[in-house]
Amino acid sequence: MLDVNQIKKNFSGLEVLKEVTFKVAYRENHAIIGPNGAGKTTLFNIISGKFRPTSGRVTFKDKDITREPPHIRNRMNLSRSFQITNVFQELSVFDNVIAGVRCHHGMRYNFFKSPTSNKEICDKTRAIIEEVGLEKVTDTTARELSYGQQRALEIGVTLSTEPEMILLDEPTAGMTREETAEAIELIQKVTVDKSLLIIEHDMDVVFTLADTISVLHYGTILASDTPDKIRNDQRVKDAYLGEEE
Amino acid sequence: MTDLAVFFLHGLVYAGLLFLISSGLTMVFGMMNVLNLAHASFYMLGAYLSYSFLQWTGNFYLSLIVCPIILFVIGSLIQKFLLVKAHKYGHVHELLVTFGVAYVITELVKWIWGNFPLGVNLDGFLTESITLFGLPYPIYRLFMLGCAVLVCLIMAFLLYKTRLGIIVRAAVDDHGMVNALGINVPLVFMSIFGLGAGLSGFAGVIAGPLLTTYPGMAAEILVDAFVVIVIGGMGSLGGALVASLMIGELQSFGALFFPKLSLALMYLLMAIVLVVKPSGLFGEDL
Amino acid sequence: MLKNRSTLISVAVIALLLFILPAFTHRYYISLLSEMFIFGLFAISYNLLLGYGGLLSFGHAMFFGIGSYATAIFITQIDGLSLISAVFLSLIVTIIAGLIVGSLLLRHKGTPFALLTLAFNALFFAIAMKWYTITGGDDGLSIFRPPINLGVTSVDTSGITFFYYLALIVIGLVVLFCWFFTKTAMGKTVVLMRENEERMRFLGYNTNISRLILFIFTGALAGLAGSFYTLFYEFTSISSISLDMSTSVILMVIIGGSRYFAGPLIGACVYIYLQDYLSDITDRWPLVMGLIFIFMILYVPKGISGLGDFIIDKIRQRRTPDDNDSSPCVEEN
Repeated sequence: MLDVNQIKKNFSGLEVLKEVTFKVAYRENHAIIGPNGAGKTTLFNIISGKFRPTSGRVTFKDKDITREPPHIRNRMNLSRSFQITNVFQELSVFDNVIAGVRCHHGMRYNFFKSPTSNKEICDKTRAIIEEVGLEKVTDTTARELSYGQQRALEIGVTLSTEPEMILLDEPTAGMTREETAEAIELIQKVTVDKSLLIIEHDMDVVFTLADTISVLHYGTILASDTPDKIRNDQRVKDAYLGEEE
Repeated sequence: MTDLAVFFLHGLVYAGLLFLISSGLTMVFGMMNVLNLAHASFYMLGAYLSYSFLQWTGNFYLSLIVCPIILFVIGSLIQKFLLVKAHKYGHVHELLVTFGVAYVITELVKWIWGNFPLGVNLDGFLTESITLFGLPYPIYRLFMLGCAVLVCLIMAFLLYKTRLGIIVRAAVDDHGMVNALGINVPLVFMSIFGLGAGLSGFAGVIAGPLLTTYPGMAAEILVDAFVVIVIGGMGSLGGALVASLMIGELQSFGALFFPKLSLALMYLLMAIVLVVKPSGLFGEDL
Repeated sequence: MLKNRSTLISVAVIALLLFILPAFTHRYYISLLSEMFIFGLFAISYNLLLGYGGLLSFGHAMFFGIGSYATAIFITQIDGLSLISAVFLSLIVTIIAGLIVGSLLLRHKGTPFALLTLAFNALFFAIAMKWYTITGGDDGLSIFRPPINLGVTSVDTSGITFFYYLALIVIGLVVLFCWFFTKTAMGKTVVLMRENEERMRFLGYNTNISRLILFIFTGALAGLAGSFYTLFYEFTSISSISLDMSTSVILMVIIGGSRYFAGPLIGACVYIYLQDYLSDITDRWPLVMGLIFIFMILYVPKGISGLGDFIIDKIRQRRTPDDNDSSPCVEEN
């Protein structure tokens, strides 16, 4: 589904990504792990369209999206979440989610209809809010939510455009044990019929969720394999997992 | 040939003036990400305060020192009490506050000194001319150029040879980082803003006797200052220097070839640069 | 629910009052009110850009002026042009101008955007000044208010009271449409742009197009106000397209409040009334205006229309001394 081919990224002389190549299959859960500063978020930014790579190619559903702007990628059903909650802080949970839903339905520039007048849009919005467990705070302003609720909203907004593939950037960052467990359950639930590419530091989350793990080590993919093989890979142990234990 | 040399010299003088004003403007933008629309108002206040100071004491040289200091204080106070408060409401609010300050200062000037041009008269050797390239050239213009160059050198020294200078340059480059280093960033911001105001005021004091002192002088030079920092790159001092020279000469020779269209041309130039390359010559990509 | 009901009632009451007013008041006040309608529309158009879209423009008068000049020029150049046609043609001109300028401003935001709007306003001002043969330059353009051509009859529009009702109905309907607009999909899209443009992009919105549409729409509204300006005074001059005019509308919107729909209307009325009242007392009424402006920006960011909120917040802060910053705006990057 997603094909990342020899991506290289320089930032004013600093080579953040040297040569990144990997694939994500249809409906696969694929995790990217690696030490901080390895370039994981940069990679996400390139895949989602925030940055352009210095060289290399990104292919999604057999189409070259390397140079496409973010909104085109989203309309192709590739959606991402953000490491630091990036929602509409002054709007209610409902308004946050409906934004993506109605965009996906094409109701963007309509001068005459209100989004809430469309039953399908409203229903889908409520469905997503329920899916991420925020029904009780549907009308609360995003700014007033708890941290865990904000992260749930972040995922909800990511889901609002009915993506076929989701990029989740450290969704459990800053969460307690209980919140992480809930988050894992949520992610599993919503990605049943989607492809997932997730950046994570929490190894429990990674080994629970992932079908495939890629290890990003200072700009290159060290290894890309099933969780068991990665767990036992000597290079990975030396570079990363070994330090963790 | 000698005519051209004279125009070239005129251009340098104006460039000096522009640099005094735009240097503060671009530093404040680089550091605090605020385009101070009231910056040229400080220039105007400097000219007007100098006028009154001269009326009171008759000592121009004293005015050169006192008025910029007054502007430094005014600038610092505005930053501390108005800008800081506006900052927490966001970028748009900050811009609007500076806009409001510019508006109020212009109205205050009209109220206190009147809505008509004032003549600043000096005496002494500054009103004479010397012979340059076979033509008489006003000493005062050379004096202005000299002042600008002197201030420029002092600034360069302070910025590149002192610890304070390093802090300022770092803050212009990355204010978040400087904050994290434990330096009293609010104090630095206030001082730099005040310094910019003082420099502007100084420019106003020396410009007074040459250019007309009238309530529209702020708006008149503000456009040129904007063009300078847009071309030079917002936040870049070196860019401001280069661009000041460019615009100074452009205005000087432009007055020769397109006398009436000058203002519109400046705006057009600014628009073109902003549309085509918003980061200017030396600025970062915005 | 309750809030909507009471708003509806107050609007209806005000509308009724405005309709019957000419029977009781002096011509002078009828004129003043007409002026308030015109600038009210201008201010509303600006606030859709600033308050709802988060775009700070220093050159909104370019559209007001283009609409104003277009109307004057069409009327002077085309014999027998009816009022409706003049306004309609001016609207088209303004929309085209909005399209051209907006396309050039597409990728810019914040400070560069503000500077560009300033530059374009100044350029249009220069054109109006120089193109003496068409625009009358410094002297301005005088017109006679054309009649409304209804096919079988033509309605004389020269009366002050007639114009008052014309402005009230047309501008009233347009303002109503603007209010309705804020509830529609496009109206909500505009707010998304103000709140978090980056996330919008990742949700599939082409923010450049959104911005262009808003820019053209608000420009057209300002142009309509400008048309009425020309029709009202039967005259236009470079002041209609000047930076001073842009400054005035900014003052109106901030003083009235940019966070509520009615804010700009209140601001326009206050501005025009004060201008009228204070200019008899002092030549320096702009100074008062400027000081009120700064005060509003810092202490009452929601303006007069937000005074209710402001007072409620202050009372709340007295009761519970917690550090709740009730700032209405979002910080930008």
